[in-house]
Amino acid sequence: MKTKFSRILTSILMVFAFGFSVQSQSISGTVTDDNGVPLPGASVIVQGTSNGVSTDFDGNYSINASMGDVLEISFVGYTTQTVSVGSSSTINVQLSADNALDEVVVTSLGISRQKKSLGYSITEVSGDQINTVKDHNIASSLVGKVPGLNITGGGSMGSGSRILIRGNNSLSGNTQALIVVDGVPINADGINSGGSVYNNSVSGGGISDINPADVESISVLKGPNSAALYGSRAGNGVILITTKKGSSESKLGITINSNVSMEDAMILPDLQNTYGQGTLAVAPATLADFTSGSWGQKMDGSNQLYYTGNQKAYSAQPDNVKNFFRTGVKSINSLSLEKGGENSSVRFSYTNNTTTGILPVSKLESHNFNVRGTSQLSDKLSIDFKATYFAQEVLGRARTGGEGVTALVYNMPRNVVTSDLKNYQKANPSSPADYAVISYNPAQSTTGNPYWMLMNDIDQEKRGRFFGFTSINYEFNDWLSGLVRVGTDITSVYTFNVRQPGHHYYSSGRMNNGTSKSGELNTDFLLTATQDITSDLNLVFNLGGNLSKRTYERLNVFGEDFKIPSKYFLNNTNNQIISETPIQTKKVNSLYAAANFAYDGFVYLDLTARNDWSSTLAADNRSIFYGSANVAVLLEDFINVDIIDMFKLRGSIANVGNDTDPYQLVQTFSVPGAGYLGLTTLSAPSTRLNPDLKPENVQSTEFGLELAMFNNKVNLDLAVYNIKTTDLIFRVPVPAATGYNFFLENVGEVTNKGVEVSLGFPVWETADFSWNSSLFYSANENKLVSLIDGIDTLVYTTTNSGNLSTQGKVGGGIGDIYGTVWSKDANGNYLVNANGRPIASNPDQLLGNAQPDWLGGITNTMTYKNWSLNVLIDGRFGGEIYSQENASLDSQGVSSRSLQYRESGVTLTGLDPNGAANAQALTGQEYWTTNAAIAENHVYDQTNIRLREIAVGYNFPDVSAIGLDGASLQIIGRNLFFFDKRMDNFDPENMLGTNLQGQGISSGSLPTTRSIGMNLTLKF
Amino acid sequence: MKNRILLLIFSVFFVISCTSDFDEINERTDALTAADVSAKYFVTNVQTGVYAPNRYPYWRGPVIHVDRYSGHTTFGFKACWWNDGLGYTYTAGYTGAVWGWQAGTNGSLNAFTNFVKPGGTLENPQYYAIALIMKGLYYQRFTDHFGMVPYTEASDPNIVTPVFDDQKTIYKGIIADLDAAMTLIGSETTTGSGPQLLTDNDLFFNGNMQDWKKLANSLKLKIALRAHGATGEDFSVAAATQAIGNVLGDKNALVTSDNEISTWGSASYGDIWHPFYGGGHWNVGSVLIDVLRDNNDPRISKFAKPIQGGTFELTQPPSGPNLALYDKHVKFLTDHLKAGGMTITETTAADGTVTITVPENTHYVGQPTRLNSKIKPYLHTKLFSKPADYITQAKNQGKPIAPKLVMTAAESHLMLAEAALKGIGSNANTHYQNGIKKSMEMWGVSASDITTFLTNESIATLSGTTEQKLGMVATQRWIAHYTDGLEAWAVARDTGFPQELPGISSTITDQDIYVLGDLNGVYPQRMRYGGDAYNKNGVNVNAANATQGADLQATKLWWAK
Repeated sequence: MKTKFSRILTSILMVFAFGFSVQSQSISGTVTDDNGVPLPGASVIVQGTSNGVSTDFDGNYSINASMGDVLEISFVGYTTQTVSVGSSSTINVQLSADNALDEVVVTSLGISRQKKSLGYSITEVSGDQINTVKDHNIASSLVGKVPGLNITGGGSMGSGSRILIRGNNSLSGNTQALIVVDGVPINADGINSGGSVYNNSVSGGGISDINPADVESISVLKGPNSAALYGSRAGNGVILITTKKGSSESKLGITINSNVSMEDAMILPDLQNTYGQGTLAVAPATLADFTSGSWGQKMDGSNQLYYTGNQKAYSAQPDNVKNFFRTGVKSINSLSLEKGGENSSVRFSYTNNTTTGILPVSKLESHNFNVRGTSQLSDKLSIDFKATYFAQEVLGRARTGGEGVTALVYNMPRNVVTSDLKNYQKANPSSPADYAVISYNPAQSTTGNPYWMLMNDIDQEKRGRFFGFTSINYEFNDWLSGLVRVGTDITSVYTFNVRQPGHHYYSSGRMNNGTSKSGELNTDFLLTATQDITSDLNLVFNLGGNLSKRTYERLNVFGEDFKIPSKYFLNNTNNQIISETPIQTKKVNSLYAAANFAYDGFVYLDLTARNDWSSTLAADNRSIFYGSANVAVLLEDFINVDIIDMFKLRGSIANVGNDTDPYQLVQTFSVPGAGYLGLTTLSAPSTRLNPDLKPENVQSTEFGLELAMFNNKVNLDLAVYNIKTTDLIFRVPVPAATGYNFFLENVGEVTNKGVEVSLGFPVWETADFSWNSSLFYSANENKLVSLIDGIDTLVYTTTNSGNLSTQGKVGGGIGDIYGTVWSKDANGNYLVNANGRPIASNPDQLLGNAQPDWLGGITNTMTYKNWSLNVLIDGRFGGEIYSQENASLDSQGVSSRSLQYRESGVTLTGLDPNGAANAQALTGQEYWTTNAAIAENHVYDQTNIRLREIAVGYNFPDVSAIGLDGASLQIIGRNLFFFDKRMDNFDPENMLGTNLQGQGISSGSLPTTRSIGMNLTLKF
Repeated sequence: MKNRILLLIFSVFFVISCTSDFDEINERTDALTAADVSAKYFVTNVQTGVYAPNRYPYWRGPVIHVDRYSGHTTFGFKACWWNDGLGYTYTAGYTGAVWGWQAGTNGSLNAFTNFVKPGGTLENPQYYAIALIMKGLYYQRFTDHFGMVPYTEASDPNIVTPVFDDQKTIYKGIIADLDAAMTLIGSETTTGSGPQLLTDNDLFFNGNMQDWKKLANSLKLKIALRAHGATGEDFSVAAATQAIGNVLGDKNALVTSDNEISTWGSASYGDIWHPFYGGGHWNVGSVLIDVLRDNNDPRISKFAKPIQGGTFELTQPPSGPNLALYDKHVKFLTDHLKAGGMTITETTAADGTVTITVPENTHYVGQPTRLNSKIKPYLHTKLFSKPADYITQAKNQGKPIAPKLVMTAAESHLMLAEAALKGIGSNANTHYQNGIKKSMEMWGVSASDITTFLTNESIATLSGTTEQKLGMVATQRWIAHYTDGLEAWAVARDTGFPQELPGISSTITDQDIYVLGDLNGVYPQRMRYGGDAYNKNGVNVNAANATQGADLQATKLWWAK
């Protein structure tokens, strides 16, 4: 296959080679749209002659002309422009769109295409749309704006998001979109994080390291059909980010942007303020009697023993949870300088982000430096380069999960004064006992103090990241151009964690010091040929290749048991365990080709082919071929209905892949850092590897309809798709009796079927006022069709008590939630045990699925003279989530719900073990603690609709008088309120992680933040 | 120019089609292949996997379940994190962890066996004998937790969903493996020389193959005696007779607790007690304390500490259902404290609250098992004996921590006594006394104290009917298994002794005091299969349930009384 394929490509190349013809005395330049996005296929002719050329895929052209000639530059959908030829050999032209029909979008490999010619679905988001209501994480700004894109969070500052396009196509590993910046795929380490129900922290990585201020536009390639040219990386769709270039204007352009917002908790749990700390309706009498629950007597203000050992008024503290959180300040400021000339442009930007979170101590600081330059070195040769350095430090990232700091805050007894907890340790500790944490439960050394965790636990993460590329473009002639590009992305992450002696779980203290380095180097070439085969049939042919090298290395040293408890460095620990990943490398070499045929402006056909050779697979399986075919047909001229401006049908089939990590083929043994009693020990690997592993195979079919009506004011885009993944690379969980816990195999089948609709329309228009709405709907149905004979379940995450787990189950979907329910007999009677408590079923009852049924959003844009208003409302509908924190609030007796039955108790209606009607009464405390243990009671519908973003803006007119080119101010808000929400007390979009393990479970989540602020832009 | 570009593009083609370094970069640099290793390095993890797992299964297996089922230890005193009902009511996650540990241990055993078996890359008959004996030890523990488990079709990677075999099949298979192992060992004393020589990687015997042979023989006797009298068993007398005819283990096979490495690694009581879950420690059960104290057993001070004692307020609840039970709860507690002969003072305040004063650091009192959360507020932890420091010693203090028991000399002798009483062998009383003596020696009791005990205490001499004598032997086996809850629990389930264990001889019904739980007051007979078993091998688990009875803790195992 490999040889044959190479031979064909070589022949094609030879054909092109004969066509080379070098022209001289030419004028060259780039044709772009208003946003600087290159326009391929634009026509450049010398007025009054038949001398004309088309621009290449990068918008570049080259034409013979003499001084004094007039060039006429035209492009369908844009206002034609004329330019006189002067002494300069470079003429760059910016065309203004004359209507929206001929929108140009960035597609695979960074190729700009007319959107109407595409046979697949793609959504482009402009830089402005993510830069007004700004977040340090671009993904947060994409929420609610793109059909088919499902984004969830779960962490805090500096945490990433989960970016899922059209559902989970894989069972394990990465199911998230590939991020490509300026044509170069970036490293994705860190994007699958979290998912621990115990002590959870969600890291950032991938898209969260990209500076929003540098973004020109974002194209979302929804699924394999549009992303097919990315071959074995296309399985989960691609997000293409195009960053800004310098303007072509010779004037120095300076832009200052300041985006500052205040953040507080959007929602806090609804807590009771009647009963205080204690158990069995009694406040503790001695320190040994303390429990952490609020199951004591009514808080009447009387003096009672307080956890500190003193007497204190036993009074409700309605705001003690609220008081723990502070107002966060997010401040993102950027400066950009740009200047252009006849032949070159340069843009520099610096962005500083200083954010303090709502969790005390937590802080994020980042600096982003970016330089971009373009230059036309000769009439044929141009160069484009970029270098970005990003440095970020996150301190005190929230730890969630059942043992995280938030759990201690939410469960704080109702009479505890928050500020009292600031005394979390004895002053000037000397003996080991002095170091012990002082918590609101002095009877138990394993209860922590949230302030201890903030002040004494150190969690620091520093990221440094360099991205850069250089690309050289050469115009061979008016129909052939070539590009060579080298891009690199190097990320180093340093983590430093300390648990000081006296910590409630690690009394002798522990620390961790880790560094990791990920790199990705991409070398590409791309040849583009444009040919008019006949006057009606045009062909653009692309041929390219890519060498991708990805590396990862890590060194981590863990130390525990501090010798001298006051200082925290590794040599001061008694035990150290080193874990090391020496540099591991993955290489993928690829060749690809794409042919885009356009027939008479109404039929478009794209064919793509790609062959990958991956180092992670055995020689026989290494070479994989992928292909796609897309057709678009524009039928408006045939329909001939006046109100219809465009009627496009499109269809696409694609076959892409999803390959694997290094070292998945050969069985090895590793030496654990610490053996047993100093002995060298070896263990058997728990996974049986398969040397014949091959990539996952993703097949996707998509059909769509695009409609533009009423002078393009109403636009409808409809897509339906069916994605089938087979040969899933999967660690099949097998019974340990086989001798292994897992077999790594290609097995099973997953399908995703869905519909995406977007509709844009004007609501109201007058001379001064306009109101446009666009709304979208997307629904995806995921199904796990098969796994392996005899095994139909894959468990992702199980709660501490095992009452609930998230699974992939054959016949169901990925993210199915299974758990316990209150048992019933065959006749439907509830069953209670001899003590009158509900009997939990086995944890095998289907309680829901973590994926929403559908997502929807409405963006409203209103302008009135210099004023503008943008409102984004979006919602998730259907899908379930288990809330561990809600169960905990009930069992600790702090939730408002838990007021019920406190005074009178409750006798549940049900049958006892003898089959008689239950007569045993339960106290409220017994009821709620038992109730909380049954999973179904805290599985919630994810449905919620919220005001996601709002921005009220004003463009200051006539600022030139004060030396400005432009000035605008927006008052911005994010997550202002819920219109509807079914889950109690918490935000259903806060999942436990960005990985598959984190889906469908929420535990100790940090409150979602509501932010209000302003965005000021000044241009000089 | 044109040619240069062409050249450039062709060189790119050349580079892209070049995959010559692909195999090399996909080879791990930080791991060993089969060619690098010796079989001895695998022995240790097989042993610790069965006896000294890491914290997670150690907590959820021995500490939360079987040690408490045995009656040796108990939770649920005041301010304890744990309610004593834990484990008597099904908790999927905790049960699942035990299944995960027990089932999962097969991995390292299987890999070791495959290396050293005939035809394996590290073939060696002595290591293979060790593998067979470890397999016997492992499966005996595994099946005694759950009953039917995968056995005959296990360890075959071509069978993804192996059937579950009944205990009779497993027991007979273990005996066959032990016989094969003993034949392989013959008169060999070591595993070979050079890299083949096993020494300190063998935590049991430092590579002494004759010790392994004796262990195999002791295990054979244990299996035979446990099966003895079970429905349809046809091998126990023959196997026990053969075992008695050979040399039994006279050396304690122990796994030294690791007192150095991370407290989260290979676990012992010590690190669970201290750095983690300080609020979750536990007390010694009352049945054990009673039998030691009431018979002046010198092991009491080795096993436990006297109660701390002091003055305690038993706060009367102002309202609620517990108010009506207050008097009953107080009486239960004070009666229990006084039962051991301790003098306590009680005063009742005007509001009904009772204050008790208890002698400090002199008396031993165990905590009754399965007390419920209603009585928990009165169960001050200082009213009950805690395990001795040697058992709960923290790591990294330079002090030893009680080892894990694999097979003890005491057990061999007590099994000989049991066999004799069952008509296999003779001299029951001599073996009985030797067993007690060996147990006391292992716990560091002085020779003179042992002699005094054996001479003066009526419990030290078998008396009464055969049934009563078997009960005495069972009780001593149960005591000798202290810190090894699974074996103590197995003895209790097999023999019905000690009869004082709540639920063992009669169903508990007093729900004012006790946890009836999902067991509804009966004694726990097995652990339920983990959710993992259902997820991965549901058809065969359900087939096992159809054969051995519903997947409940109350379902008796094949050999249970």
